[in-house]
Amino acid sequence: MNRNFTQAMSVKCSDPAKMEQLIELLRQWDHDQAQADIMGYMGIRILADRETPDEYLILADFGVVDPDVSAADEAARNNERPETQETARRMRELLDDDPVYRHYDWLYLTDD
Amino acid sequence: MNGRVGNDIDEHDIEEVTLVARGIVAAVAPETGLTDVQAELLQAIAAALTGYHVDYLALEPLAPADLADVLAARDLAYRQRIVHHMVLGELVLRPIPVVVAHRVAKYAEALGVHDNFVRVARRYAQGAYGLAWMDLARSGFVEHVQNADGASPTAPKQSPIAPSDVNPELAAKWQAFAELPHDTLGFQVWDMYDSRGFEFPGAPGGPPVGLAQHDFVHVLADYGTNLRGEVEVFALIGRADPDPKGFAWLATLIGLFETGYITSSGFFDRDVRDPVIQAPGMHIRVADGIRRGKVIWQRCDMDLFDFEYHEHAARPVDEVREIVGVPPKSEAALAAGSAALDSFEGMSETQRRVMQQRRGGGG
Repeated sequence: MNRNFTQAMSVKCSDPAKMEQLIELLRQWDHDQAQADIMGYMGIRILADRETPDEYLILADFGVVDPDVSAADEAARNNERPETQETARRMRELLDDDPVYRHYDWLYLTDD
Repeated sequence: MNGRVGNDIDEHDIEEVTLVARGIVAAVAPETGLTDVQAELLQAIAAALTGYHVDYLALEPLAPADLADVLAARDLAYRQRIVHHMVLGELVLRPIPVVVAHRVAKYAEALGVHDNFVRVARRYAQGAYGLAWMDLARSGFVEHVQNADGASPTAPKQSPIAPSDVNPELAAKWQAFAELPHDTLGFQVWDMYDSRGFEFPGAPGGPPVGLAQHDFVHVLADYGTNLRGEVEVFALIGRADPDPKGFAWLATLIGLFETGYITSSGFFDRDVRDPVIQAPGMHIRVADGIRRGKVIWQRCDMDLFDFEYHEHAARPVDEVREIVGVPPKSEAALAAGSAALDSFEGMSETQRRVMQQRRGGGG
């Protein structure tokens, strides 16, 4: 199995209008990535915390596209791209605080 | 079949055909070797387009640089279509091994081909189905349907493949085809809709007017309207398109009806209950659709979505076939079960039921 990788970003956004802007920003990111050269980025999920209003978890998934490069390395390369840095900067502007990042390798998936 | 044997096949050099086949096999074979489905399909396409039978399961691999040498004198469009055959060989796999998708990209790079469909296949291999669909939709038919719809491809539009707005005038125009003589293109396409219970463009639940263009091709090419017929018709339409991006149609239908990589295209929904490409004879039927599409491209040189079918609706079907340059089906495709438009074999269960209710028979 090619081990996938997920970058999790815990964020807080207390302004619903800004949250809408954040979703639109990431929707646009997806559209841009679909037209860009292939890299490890697979897609994103934005989850709202039901117990804690205004808190969200953003999960960015990465996979293997080159047998010699791990998904985690693809994610690291992605982080270095100017467009990623710019999107992260615009994202931070919409949030109450800086995101808290955590990084995960996939160990099991129902589909596998 | 051995060499040019009719059916409007261009003359080919058996040595080149074999070398290209070796390159394609080397690009698309999983680590366990070429699958039977891959071999049958690629072999059938090579036979239909070149007249030569090459045993794809008995070929030595050819390296990317060597394939590039073989195709050095060929133009970019030719090399791009060779790459599309590689992609086709990938798309029938589920899953597509990352190593295969990566290898095909290397072959494309060696051939100097930068192709979006190579990228789509890599996204499938990666598991990025959402991005793949966005990529595929923008790489092909969205522009086709926008253009056929009369809109500027650059004009903002919510979804060109979403159902059209209700337009009674348009629906009436299609309904009026019923008054034409029975041998005309217009009557035949009306009969196809009416006998199967399809709603006309402009009627509630009718197809987008741009997409409905392909229904005229069902009549001209005499292909059925079940999933197998749809795959045949879009294999033909895609290859007839002077722009290699027409390959998007076949790539999409395989994703919908064979491997299930695509959930919904907006006009067709995923249906993988009965694999299409793996059905007996379908590799030959798809290959013949591609061959016929190539002949149409050589004779007509226009995207079949742009053809003014309505202007020719009152002409006999055979006359319009001449104008467009539609060659007959090959004997091999007929023997493989390529169903005629008006036969029960070319209809889905639902279509047959409606046909029996409305016409009291068929076939």
